[in-house]
Amino acid sequence: MTSGTTPSLFLRNATGLVKGWSGFDAFIYSFMSVNLVTLGMFYSFLTFGWVPDGSPIAAIVISAIAVTFLAITYAGLIAVMPRAGGDYVWQSRVLDGIPGAVSGAVVFGIGAFLVGQALALGDAVDLGAGAVGVVGGALLGLRRGGIGFVLAATGWWFILALWAPIYGAILTVEFVQPVTALAGLEGVSSFFGTPDGVFAVSLIVIALVTALVALGMAGYARVQRASLYVGLAVLAVVFVLMLVSSQADFQRAFDREASSLFGVTNAYQSTIDTTAAFYGAPFAGLDPFGFGPGTLALVPFMFFWILYPNWGATLYGEVRGAGDFRKVLNGMLGGIWVTAVLAVVFVLLAAKTFGWEFFQATNANFGDTFYGVADAPAPVIPVWGYPPLLASFLVDSRVVQIVIVVLFGAWFLGWAGTLFLSSTRMIFAAAFDRILPEAAARVSDRGVPIVALLLIMVPSVVLSWFYAYNADFVGLTLDATLVIAVTFLGSAVAATILPWWKKELYANSPVARYSIGGLPLISLAGGITTVILAWVLVEWLTNGLYGIGVGNTQSIIFLGILYGAAAVLYVVARLYRRAQGIDLEAIHAEIPAE
Amino acid sequence: MRVFFATDIHGSEVCWRKFLNAGTFHKADVLIMGGDMTGKAMVPIVATGAGWEVTIQEQGHVLSSEDEARAMEKRIRDRGYYPVRLGRDELDAWAADPGLVDARFRSEMLASVERWMALADERLAGTGIRCIVSPANDDMFEIDPIIDRAERVELGEANTIELDGFTLVSTGWANPTPWNTYRELPEPELRERIDGLVARVSDPRRSIFNFHAPPYGSNLDSAPRLDAEMKYVAGGQALVPVGSRAVRESILAYLPALSLHGHIHEGKGAVRIGSTLAVNPGSSYEDGVLQAAIVDLDTKKGSVKRYLLING
Repeated sequence: MTSGTTPSLFLRNATGLVKGWSGFDAFIYSFMSVNLVTLGMFYSFLTFGWVPDGSPIAAIVISAIAVTFLAITYAGLIAVMPRAGGDYVWQSRVLDGIPGAVSGAVVFGIGAFLVGQALALGDAVDLGAGAVGVVGGALLGLRRGGIGFVLAATGWWFILALWAPIYGAILTVEFVQPVTALAGLEGVSSFFGTPDGVFAVSLIVIALVTALVALGMAGYARVQRASLYVGLAVLAVVFVLMLVSSQADFQRAFDREASSLFGVTNAYQSTIDTTAAFYGAPFAGLDPFGFGPGTLALVPFMFFWILYPNWGATLYGEVRGAGDFRKVLNGMLGGIWVTAVLAVVFVLLAAKTFGWEFFQATNANFGDTFYGVADAPAPVIPVWGYPPLLASFLVDSRVVQIVIVVLFGAWFLGWAGTLFLSSTRMIFAAAFDRILPEAAARVSDRGVPIVALLLIMVPSVVLSWFYAYNADFVGLTLDATLVIAVTFLGSAVAATILPWWKKELYANSPVARYSIGGLPLISLAGGITTVILAWVLVEWLTNGLYGIGVGNTQSIIFLGILYGAAAVLYVVARLYRRAQGIDLEAIHAEIPAE
Repeated sequence: MRVFFATDIHGSEVCWRKFLNAGTFHKADVLIMGGDMTGKAMVPIVATGAGWEVTIQEQGHVLSSEDEARAMEKRIRDRGYYPVRLGRDELDAWAADPGLVDARFRSEMLASVERWMALADERLAGTGIRCIVSPANDDMFEIDPIIDRAERVELGEANTIELDGFTLVSTGWANPTPWNTYRELPEPELRERIDGLVARVSDPRRSIFNFHAPPYGSNLDSAPRLDAEMKYVAGGQALVPVGSRAVRESILAYLPALSLHGHIHEGKGAVRIGSTLAVNPGSSYEDGVLQAAIVDLDTKKGSVKRYLLING
């Protein structure tokens, strides 16, 4: 029974009725997904130097605002279809008929046209390929569940195989290399910078995340919570170190440690000079309140880090009302905005203590080599200027330095475990829908999803090999986010049309009470998210700055293979099941009530 | 033979109506409802003199006409709750006396099952579609005779029912839950109950188990872990197996062609246990979506030909 003087609901004792759940738990999951240290520091903040006329703080704030609309959209979808299981089912339920056909036509029309262009087949063939893509995509989208499967399989399964070596690269530059370097094992540290080393760390990551899936979320949740506390505590220590130290202190400390660890003298100034020579000018200082002309160009880079507050966003149990919607939303908003505030504080401290000119230079110096920029000068020091490592130099104690960097590993440990978990859930859903063979959902006696794990492990190993031994493949890193953004875009479109396309479903949901200016909140947020994601996708695909668009044949073909494989898998499954007498169309066909 | 199996609709009127139409829509020969068909909540619609007030999903509504009140009642029923019209004094009395609430709950559950059985008799008449309903752990015992009395519905609980060469064996009893519901048994006793039912079957391999509780550790039984205060651990992300070991062992012992389960709404799936196909279609009754399994059985071979889990 609800508490208070006027009960609005009387409950009886029945299975599944719980007293609720902690919004803090939702925050932890979101906060660790939007990971300031693993994704933010390396993949996003490293790129500030590539857009020297952009304003980092403004870009962070704009990105957080943009992703806020995504969080509202997802919290709304979760509240409307709480136990559905995420993008796959939401899109399959909502994007049927005309919306499904339009979505399919857009995805495959653009995709086929770009692949035609990448293969340099000629304008006529490109247009022809685009037309075939439009028709094929529309036909696929007309089938209930077709476009939902393609977008979810690519975003929650296929592309996560590319994330495995990306996770490996993060573990290398943020843990393995700095720790081994600090331990005086320069040879070992150097090895992990070689293709063999990169591949080895990727395999370690794959083994680690597989073990964490086998452990199960019940066990991993405890690891994640402990990681949060450890990660925040050591972050606070680093922030304090940076706050109380001057730029001169840091310069002396950096030069001392570069000399001691790597035999590099005058490393601070050399880093600035080397990069200035390559870029033609030194980097400018930080303008905290600036809004430079390149600011918006930084936003697609920021999305590599801040786009995932909804990762694993599922709500279990009974949804009683708007309170559940708000709790889910608050968890995600906490994940976004606590991270954004910490990011801004970090940028300000980095500028104050490291010196923004140096910080930009050391990132660009390492990043240019990491991404294979032509003629880039060798890094002044052989490891990345990982901010916790740089801050640890402020303490002239090797043991303390190692402890700081090792404890920062909690940010990785609390984040990496969900990589394959999402894939296995998607694979299970596809198996239950008979698109994949029944065996894909097989579990061991201990509940380990053996086949599903293999279905993500094997492509992960293959892509890790490419990542390690094909220098150009590292340049496809942003594709890992692009494909997920396309999946999110599908759900944003579904959320936008939901109140009109699935009226009853929406009207019976707790989010139906929220509207702004007569427009349903979920549609407003979904519409804005659709526009934002569409813009980001256009930027990624057309702006050479990001390196994965029309100028990168390998990237476009890679994307074409992903979406093509998902479509082929779906079509083959439908035909095969039809031959077995199973009509997959029936999965989402609504039975009339009257 | 085509079987349409749904479960755990927990009072959702629209899901029951879809269930009754599913035989025609999906060309099924047999409809099986796996239990937990009664609702968990009552929503008071409070008379104010000028109309009524009601709060649903934490949103207040003022209803000024009988049409509005009826529309609200339908909305509440479709969600699986029982709408009850009350005066302010009655509401205060309910708040003070749980006995009054319990009594009304019982009468609402019985009345809804009566109404549902009448609807089944009406809709299934002349279709040739068989319908078996088997109450489960959240259903009070008094609904069994109501189901038994229905003309077009057969009571599954504790019965063995012949279905075109297969024998349906049903029980809605489950292994103990934290909620101490109507039909719960310790594992050894649950196994005894199952063994007793299967003993009536001439060929267990040509049987269909309709056991509400899913087999332990099958992934059909993965539910969010709860803490001592009955709150979700890790925001519901920490899933643990909560199914029945007795059910699992009995499946492995008898190897029925098909084993139908529910109970764990999040546990949608299909797995092989030995040679048996075990399914849990899950439940999204609050959304008005009828999750179900369609299973085609080969009556000559005594095996499953094909299956599909749907969101109808």
